[in-house]
Amino acid sequence: MLTWEFPPRIVGGIARHCFGLTRALAKAGHEVSVVTLEFPGALEYEEMDGVKLFRVPIALGHPNFLTWVLLFNHFIEKQVAELCREEKPDIIHAHDWVVSPSAISLKLSLNVPLVFTIHSTEMGRAQGLRNPDSFTINGFEWWATYEACKVIVTTEAMKREVGGHFELSTKKMATIPNAIDQKKFDIVIDRKSIKQRYATPHEKIVLFVGRLTPQKGVEYLIHAVPQILRHHPEAKFVIVGEGWLRESLEQLARNSGHSEKIFFTGFLSERDLLEIMSSADVLVLPSIYEPFGIVALEGLAAGIPVVASRIDGLAEVINHNKNGILVYPRNPESIAWGVNQILSDSNYARLLCTNGQKKLRKTYNWDAVAEKTERVYEDAVKL
Amino acid sequence: MNTDFPKRYSSFSLSDDFQLLCMLSNIGVITPAKSLTIEELSERTRLEISVIQKLLSKLVQEGYVEVSTIEFTEKYYLTLNGIRKVLSTYS
Repeated sequence: MLTWEFPPRIVGGIARHCFGLTRALAKAGHEVSVVTLEFPGALEYEEMDGVKLFRVPIALGHPNFLTWVLLFNHFIEKQVAELCREEKPDIIHAHDWVVSPSAISLKLSLNVPLVFTIHSTEMGRAQGLRNPDSFTINGFEWWATYEACKVIVTTEAMKREVGGHFELSTKKMATIPNAIDQKKFDIVIDRKSIKQRYATPHEKIVLFVGRLTPQKGVEYLIHAVPQILRHHPEAKFVIVGEGWLRESLEQLARNSGHSEKIFFTGFLSERDLLEIMSSADVLVLPSIYEPFGIVALEGLAAGIPVVASRIDGLAEVINHNKNGILVYPRNPESIAWGVNQILSDSNYARLLCTNGQKKLRKTYNWDAVAEKTERVYEDAVKL
Repeated sequence: MNTDFPKRYSSFSLSDDFQLLCMLSNIGVITPAKSLTIEELSERTRLEISVIQKLLSKLVQEGYVEVSTIEFTEKYYLTLNGIRKVLSTYS
């Protein structure tokens, strides 16, 4: 499996996806090797729950992002070539465009089937192709979907997006959702003391978790703060995550006149994240583009009600009024309405959580995802 | 030598210091062992020393870059927070 992110190198949802999937595949009896990029403090080689993990040192860098991507692909390819001296893989499974140059090259040189999971598109992430680099990235995405014998997407919405944009046959595509390790959330915590790290004892935590980039729509949540506080002065907004938009969002929070009510935590460790998720009163996902939204699953697993934008990926995970509340994207009034619904009615909030956990257990577990992925591999080998 | 940043970043309205942070990540100064002097950074990024100096002091202040002094020479590298900040842009 080729991926540019694998814990502790976490960019977005791909790291968690690859971590969960590879462990489940190994548990099912497959030999799984992951080739990924180096990260300070992480071992270059280790075995994790039966998964062989190779973190490739990048011996050559370049200030230009795309040139750097091509360079590290060379080092990934070199690592796989070394592994293949002992045994050739049956399948190469690559995640997203960043590893597509090495994946395509290995597919052709080793003559093994390539399975490509596309977690999001440049068109969606950048909300259009606005500069030469975006066109190049879009080109890599198309090239990988063309060369792959099977393309995996995580939602039906992504299937429509990828199929339409790259003119792919639906026969070539498979929808396999993300999942989460629910056991992670079976932790005993002192909710009161954890809450006190971020809020006063009587305050209710309205939580956001994600990268601080325009795609995540955090600005719309900040714009909704005054309307929420009008009805629920006890609300405290905790923004978890890091990103290049952080300074602008902090400025926006100061301008809102409620900066004492909005707390930016920065990046949190896995343990701290689990604790805050299990202690919050509502999770808000105001994204404007979200192919899946693994954080929504984590909210369901943590047993907190979720308010999410009614956009393609999230709307497949969250069913309005059943296991969460869907609100209009880019709309602070709608976000405020959703959050106020939850904070005003604890019985309703509990019902949403119960329904959410039922759906989670049924659909979003790694064993089920690994089983579906195995079927895709079987089809790929037969082609 | 350029004093401006490539259009890729400015079209996304990224700040100059963040653009430098991305460049440092791409050239691989992510551990003390891979740290570089301002002169070396200028050479690799093709940016003026004065521009780099100004931006680095901000990045150091914000905790995204750290300075290590080896034999009276100051060398710069990204902290874990700096790396995470850069990674947040690319997914």
